[in-house]
Amino acid sequence: MTRSITLALVTLLAPAGAALLAAAIAPLRKRGWPAAALCILASVASFGAAAMLLLDQLGGAQHEAWTAPWLESGSKAIAEIGIHVDGISSSMLAVVTLVALCVQVFSLGYMHDEEPPAFGRYFAYHALFLFSMDVLVVAPNLLQLFVGWELVGVTSYLLIGFYFRKPSAAHAAVKAFWVTKFADMGLLFGLLVLFTATGSFGWDAKLSPGVATAVTMLLFFAVVGKSAQFPLHVWLPDAMEGPTPVSALLHAATMVAAGVFLVVRADPLFAQAPATRAVMLALGAGTALFAALLALVQNDIKKVLAYSTCSQLGYMVAALGAGSLVGGFFHLTTHAFFKALLFLCAGSAIHAVHSNEIGKMGGLARRMPLTAGAFIVGALALAGVPGLSGFFSKDLVLEGVEGKLGSVPWAALLFTAGLTAFYMGRVIFVAFFGEASSEEAKHAHEPGWSMRGPLVVLAALALAGGALARPFTRLYGEREPYAFHFGTSSALAAGLALGGFALAWVFYGDGRRTVPAVVTWVEGVAETRAINRIYETGFRSVTLPFAAALGWIDRYVVDGLINISAWLTLEAGRGARKVQTGYAPDYVLAVLVGVAGVAAWAVIQ
Amino acid sequence: MTLSTCILLATALFCIGIFGLLSRRQPIAILLSVELMANAANIVFVAFGRYRGGTTGQIFATFSIALTVAEVAVGLALVILLYRSHHREARLDRATEMHG
Repeated sequence: MTRSITLALVTLLAPAGAALLAAAIAPLRKRGWPAAALCILASVASFGAAAMLLLDQLGGAQHEAWTAPWLESGSKAIAEIGIHVDGISSSMLAVVTLVALCVQVFSLGYMHDEEPPAFGRYFAYHALFLFSMDVLVVAPNLLQLFVGWELVGVTSYLLIGFYFRKPSAAHAAVKAFWVTKFADMGLLFGLLVLFTATGSFGWDAKLSPGVATAVTMLLFFAVVGKSAQFPLHVWLPDAMEGPTPVSALLHAATMVAAGVFLVVRADPLFAQAPATRAVMLALGAGTALFAALLALVQNDIKKVLAYSTCSQLGYMVAALGAGSLVGGFFHLTTHAFFKALLFLCAGSAIHAVHSNEIGKMGGLARRMPLTAGAFIVGALALAGVPGLSGFFSKDLVLEGVEGKLGSVPWAALLFTAGLTAFYMGRVIFVAFFGEASSEEAKHAHEPGWSMRGPLVVLAALALAGGALARPFTRLYGEREPYAFHFGTSSALAAGLALGGFALAWVFYGDGRRTVPAVVTWVEGVAETRAINRIYETGFRSVTLPFAAALGWIDRYVVDGLINISAWLTLEAGRGARKVQTGYAPDYVLAVLVGVAGVAAWAVIQ
Repeated sequence: MTLSTCILLATALFCIGIFGLLSRRQPIAILLSVELMANAANIVFVAFGRYRGGTTGQIFATFSIALTVAEVAVGLALVILLYRSHHREARLDRATEMHG
């Protein structure tokens, strides 16, 4: 086994071992801190190995695959299970494990007040999530990717529903599970079509145009669900019911990016289907704009960030739709850093104020300078202010999208960049500046070291992540070395970002609470909850009656047949046992009748 | 005595044996009935042996008697067991543990 494979195995198996131990040994989990220590140690090991793997790949190590046959039928294996190490998987592994480590350390402080068993359970779920995500990232084919995809879906369900005694959290968990599961059908059917057409689950098959379009459309349907694109975005805002660090890791930085990662992986397939790419471009740009508008009107700081996540995932999908793998994937990387940072800062503020409402915060910058500073860095990076990581990745996205589909998506994404700056500016001015709006906000203070440390690490990455552009684009397979050039897109994006912040200051700065007319309008539209209501109506009028009909058939037809055959068997047995009287002469008589019968038969013959 | 008279005698004995086998309840009586049936067979052996000439029939009958003795020995052992396990009373209609 080579060095790369060993490192990847350590990355993969350390969290798996921690999750298994915490799950199997109850005292470890129930006392809380031993499970937490174990899981964080596993994450450290995992990150260490992933970082070494990334450094190797940056140093020009070979792409490697290590596989074992899987699902053998006859002498031939249908698929393979194993590890695929290349630039894409190693960079993604490093990002995932780093953010996971930061979030777990942050959770030590954030979840400190939980009961010890819940504390242990929380960390066990985190370790399980990290393992699942690693399975997805290192997959050598789409089938193993699907396994990881479903595993992260399960851990997402467990973590959203972590406060399962709270009905809203339980509902949100079920909703997230259902919506993504509905979309996962696309991935499953896509894989089936792919396998029928090519006989393998590889992502580099040559397909006929029709099959390529069908497969990629089905795969993209799964992406729409997992990466919360319109119209299946409805689960992501509700998923904010989970603990804030969970939102940071799963529902901002890594799990929701799995959809984007799938497209990056299956890029050779998508390249053969221009129709799918056009749909992705349109839908991604549309989601980016739509979700940014909704983010304008949220008063819950986590909901703002959730819609912002939808919006940024829209950027990535649009970039991939435009064929810019580098733009989409690099934006995924920088977004993982600054969005995890924003969520952790929000968690720190929520921890201090005991409320998610930005209206109840106010003036936190004076009492929590580090949190506020980190949040502002994250917001500037998210808005794409020049020099920060988000600026470079967004520039790559816009560069890729420019000129495609009559430049409409490009214009939408540029406008969204301005909106992004505006809604982040609103949160900053309302939550961190002005006067304290509640009693708790007056007594807010910085959290402990375990929560501050991850903020500093992630803030540094959000600030300087742009420097990763050159090495990472080379990892993604780009021939030409990355060189930034200040074009029209860059200038417009930078101007719009700064303009957005300026406009936010005009409306919300200095303790003002002016609400622009457009925000009131969006609020009115958002309050109708139109999309959620369509799903609810559809669920009530189609899914439930259909399920009831199926239930009836199952209960009375399928079960009925089984019950009848069971009843027949019983009755036949009851009749047959009368023959066994236990009275010896009866048996003798039976023997004699038999002999006489045989004799008679012999005579007739 | 002709062959047919011998066969008629044997058939009569066999039928009496079957009747006893089916109608008696005491195991000793059943053993006696079985004995009757076996001896009906022996008569047929000897009768046909004499009819065909040679000693094969007599040898077979002798064998059969020896086997019947063994069978009676096993049968009487069973009767004693039955007598002991059914409160000092050996009646076949009471021994119905094997009914379904």
